[in-house]
Amino acid sequence: MENGNRDLITREVTLNMGPQHPSTHGVMHLILHMQGEKIVKAEPDIGFLHRGMEKIAENLLYSQFVPYTDRLDYLSSMTNNLGYVMAVEKLLNIEVPERGKYIRVITSELSRISSHLLAVGAWGLDLGAITIVLYAFREREMILDLFEMLCGARLTYNYMKIGGVRGDLPPGFIEKCKEFVNIFPKRVDEYEGLLTGNRIWLRRNKGIGVVTAEDAINLGLTGPSLRGSGVNWDIRKDEPYLVYDRFDFKVATGENGDCFDRYIVRVEEMRQAARIIEQALQQIPDGPVNADVPEFVLPPKEDVMTKMESLIHHFKLISHGFKPPKGEVYSSIEAPKGELGFYIISDGSERPFRVKIRAPSFVNLQGIDHMSKGAYFADVVAVISSLDPVFGEVDK
Amino acid sequence: MNELSTDNHKNSSSLSIKDLLKKVFFIDLIQGLFITFNYTFTKTITERYPDDEKWIPYKRFRGLHTLNRNKEGKELCVGCELCQKSCPTQCITVIPMEDKTGKGIADRIAYRWEINLLRCMFCGLCEDACPTEALKLGREYELASFSMQRQIRSKEELIKPQPIPVEFEGGVIVRATLEKGDKEIKVKPDLSVQKRWW
Repeated sequence: MENGNRDLITREVTLNMGPQHPSTHGVMHLILHMQGEKIVKAEPDIGFLHRGMEKIAENLLYSQFVPYTDRLDYLSSMTNNLGYVMAVEKLLNIEVPERGKYIRVITSELSRISSHLLAVGAWGLDLGAITIVLYAFREREMILDLFEMLCGARLTYNYMKIGGVRGDLPPGFIEKCKEFVNIFPKRVDEYEGLLTGNRIWLRRNKGIGVVTAEDAINLGLTGPSLRGSGVNWDIRKDEPYLVYDRFDFKVATGENGDCFDRYIVRVEEMRQAARIIEQALQQIPDGPVNADVPEFVLPPKEDVMTKMESLIHHFKLISHGFKPPKGEVYSSIEAPKGELGFYIISDGSERPFRVKIRAPSFVNLQGIDHMSKGAYFADVVAVISSLDPVFGEVDK
Repeated sequence: MNELSTDNHKNSSSLSIKDLLKKVFFIDLIQGLFITFNYTFTKTITERYPDDEKWIPYKRFRGLHTLNRNKEGKELCVGCELCQKSCPTQCITVIPMEDKTGKGIADRIAYRWEINLLRCMFCGLCEDACPTEALKLGREYELASFSMQRQIRSKEELIKPQPIPVEFEGGVIVRATLEKGDKEIKVKPDLSVQKRWW
């Protein structure tokens, strides 16, 4: 060890952590080079959940790939859907109606809350605080209920579609959502009561996995992992998409860049997301949710039943898809885990020539070596939880 | 960004008397224990599935596929094969046939309509593609079975009327009974006794 002149130097041991270890958030395999109890090097070994998402996209119509994006970061499918459809919309140059944009904001913020709830809950679970995950899951269950009401699924939503969303808000959704937003801040106080002041939680997280602002930028970290180091970068604020520029919210940042700061950033982001939802529910206008572009977007079902042109467009779009113009686009959004980007190359045919997914967990995972170097073995668990990698997204 | 959050948690460097007392008397741990203790007196939110209770999903739920009839009892499916074409996993097989007997709404019906649930990912694109609203994803979600063959469901089974009426709003926990059969285990709901959990 560099600093441990009095440490007993022993033979370096290589330890395999995962891929079935319960605290590695899925199928993560970490090869730890250890000197006694301390980490010399942590190498993530990925690919156990590789399904070839990018290649699958090349063989499907543009609209058929949306359900596959659900399976990237399966804890916040809604934002994955959003990232992909926004990239395709940029390629096609479609403008989504106002109501559609507001619905997208509401659902992606709900998704952010549910993702952070699981991140914080599982983090507590990994470090031995089992109560928190049960409480966090109660609120997560409420959000899943709302999503089930909205789009009929609890995990793989497939709610966004190119040019809008799959259906307008069902009756009773806004009331239930308001009820949730009212309850939620009090529940966050409860989580903080359980964790934030707890001396064990502080000892396990403060000063662990430190990454400075400069290192965080150099490593390419995004999302809460970057903001925990004090870098004020949030795509929602700095390059606003949809209607995020109309809401009043703050970007939470930490100071020291340790695990505890990343935890605080997540908790604060949950509060801010609830504020955004509240404002969006007040501002949401009436009107259509889907863009009226018959050559790219499916016409509404009522029109298909009554109008000949709509029926023809419907058959044409389903059986052949649409042909976007030739070109390349990159579009990114602020997903719960960081910057989620889709880079699409179109060769003018009805299938994408190439889809590159910039998955936040994949990039954040490379910070793990930097963060856990010199730490104890037990701290690696805290570091993994604080990065919150989801392996559907890392392995693609 | 200090005014946001980190200020409250920055008290580790200067340990005042108050903080010391808090630490000595385990205030931080008692605060957490107080929260959990309070929950002893609140309503239980868990659901006793499958023995006594069952969750009835909302109307838009995407469960097992259903094929529907119109009000006169004619089959709505016209065998247009759009569901087959829209399916990303190619799990739907449709073989259309001509039919002059008036079984369907047009002179074309599905001779065979099959779904392979092992491949299906319940994305609902087939539902969006159906031009006659014949195909809907229903509210059946207990799909486990003892054989792989059982996972291929055909038209004859899917066109039967649903156990939960389409008009039923859903989103409630109802009373249910567990029924164990030779081929499947089913939980039979009783829609008259309902409760909401939040």
